Amino acid sequence: MSISLLSNTYNRQNWEDAEFPILCQTCLGDNPYIRMMKERYGQECKICNRPFTIFRWCPGARMRFKKTEICQTCSKLKNVCQTCLLDLEFGLPVQVRDEALQITDTIPKGQVNKEYFTQNAEAEMALEQTPQPYGQLAKAQPPSDVLMKLARSAPYYKRNQPHICSFYVKGECKRGEECPYRHEKPTDPDDPLSNQNIRDRFYGVNDPVAEKLLSRYKELPQLETPEDKTVTTLYIGNVVDIDEQQLRDHFYQYGEIRSVTVVPKQSCAFVQFTQRDAAEEAAKESFNTLVIDGKRLTVKWGKPPSAQGSSGRPGEGGVFETNYEPVPGLPTVVPMPSNELKTDFFGLSSSSSSSNVGVSATTTSFLPPPPMPPPDLGDYTSSLSYGHMSMTNPSSMPPPLSSLRTGVHYPSQDPSRVGSTASHGKANE
Amino acid sequence: MVKVRKTSKPPPDGWDLIEPTLDELEAKMREAELAPHDGKRKVETLWPIFKIHHQKSRYIYDLYYKRKTINKELYDYCLKQSIGDKNLIAQWKKQGYENLCCLRCIQPRDTNFNKKCICRVPKEKLEEGKVVECVHCGCRGCSG
Repeated sequence: MSISLLSNTYNRQNWEDAEFPILCQTCLGDNPYIRMMKERYGQECKICNRPFTIFRWCPGARMRFKKTEICQTCSKLKNVCQTCLLDLEFGLPVQVRDEALQITDTIPKGQVNKEYFTQNAEAEMALEQTPQPYGQLAKAQPPSDVLMKLARSAPYYKRNQPHICSFYVKGECKRGEECPYRHEKPTDPDDPLSNQNIRDRFYGVNDPVAEKLLSRYKELPQLETPEDKTVTTLYIGNVVDIDEQQLRDHFYQYGEIRSVTVVPKQSCAFVQFTQRDAAEEAAKESFNTLVIDGKRLTVKWGKPPSAQGSSGRPGEGGVFETNYEPVPGLPTVVPMPSNELKTDFFGLSSSSSSSNVGVSATTTSFLPPPPMPPPDLGDYTSSLSYGHMSMTNPSSMPPPLSSLRTGVHYPSQDPSRVGSTASHGKANE
Repeated sequence: MVKVRKTSKPPPDGWDLIEPTLDELEAKMREAELAPHDGKRKVETLWPIFKIHHQKSRYIYDLYYKRKTINKELYDYCLKQSIGDKNLIAQWKKQGYENLCCLRCIQPRDTNFNKKCICRVPKEKLEEGKVVECVHCGCRGCSG
């Protein structure tokens, strides 16, 4: 039979005394002015059963009073908070952290073994100059992205709520308004999350919360790279009160940024890289892990330009959230010219198409600017037409520009011209 | 049963006017002492005792200081016989403590951080809509 170690005072040297508890931020609460009570040897540690100093405080208005449940030695062995037994760095259960970092420290669980072990561990900890985390955690490790993704970004104060009023559950609560316990429906007893055991949670064995988190991680959406290799734009969501400079500061490490556009109305931003692999790297690293200013940003690929509603709109890298209805009265999308019309700009098909079919295939390549300097940019089309004309019909006089034929073709729609939409992403070689 | 008298002398004049009320209060106190504890919290069982004690002292205090219907002799006699609590009445004479519920609620040694009871906090300073019944005497706020 086990006698309480508190009443057995012969091993009093083993009792722990502490100055300040080891706690996580959520357990401490949101109020910076906490009053904490200290009681020496107030309770037994829930894991090693040795008497230790308990600290008790109120984590905020309408919260229950919390107290330390395990002793400092046990909390240092696993690097967890003394009250909630979650990891101090990430706020995740021990099982999740150990699996992600592949830590296989074994702490004995049997009665005598456990006492011997904690005794020695405490003696060692008292000797070392600078406090080190115990065991495999002390090895320098790269930041695990699994843990980064699973960790919360804001404190979760629902943990500090008062317990459910058991009288209310039976319908008998006479305290009514002033009852400090929660008057809510209790959690479903069939739910596996309601069978939690402090020992299991501490040792990282058979923890239902950890299992739920790990299965949730496996089902996290994975980022697919778009097949269209020309897309180098990332769509960033949840951009609230984040400015362009902050985004640049983060994304410059992956490669040269071509442009950053912030759209406050949609609370999103578009980051376009010059190189495709830079964008891929950025997406891989930032997907579901990027946190700027305390806000977790969603990272997705931007849609390729061919999925755009209208052509000829440069500057945004070709990504739009909403499809707008076509405005009446505006010219609609100009259809691409048929193959025949690709070179036949002036409706000379009847005379020259038959002879020029073979020639036209070669002349659709990129033409040097015409020798005649264009008077101004507005006249560019006409000067280009001269150039075309000189290639296809050296003999005949260039007729005035006419777009009255069916199947209007603008030179800017010519797919081989620089500045047309499809080649937008390949500017850097 | 008649209440035990601490002196052999007869009570001073005016006693007959207040005796019936005092007898009623006495009876109430006896009822509260004998009440069963079922359905009540452990601390809640004592609340009626403190309440009636306050009421008795209040009656004596009112008669002498407020309504001035009894003379000093009778007042001193009541205090001597412990009908009214002398220390509680002494607090009521102080500014801010006029409605003090009981002496336990101003004792700092009874609290964790050496403060007064929550019922001593004025309602404006307390967060909105919070109903408090102090654990000592069930008071819902006795400041101001």
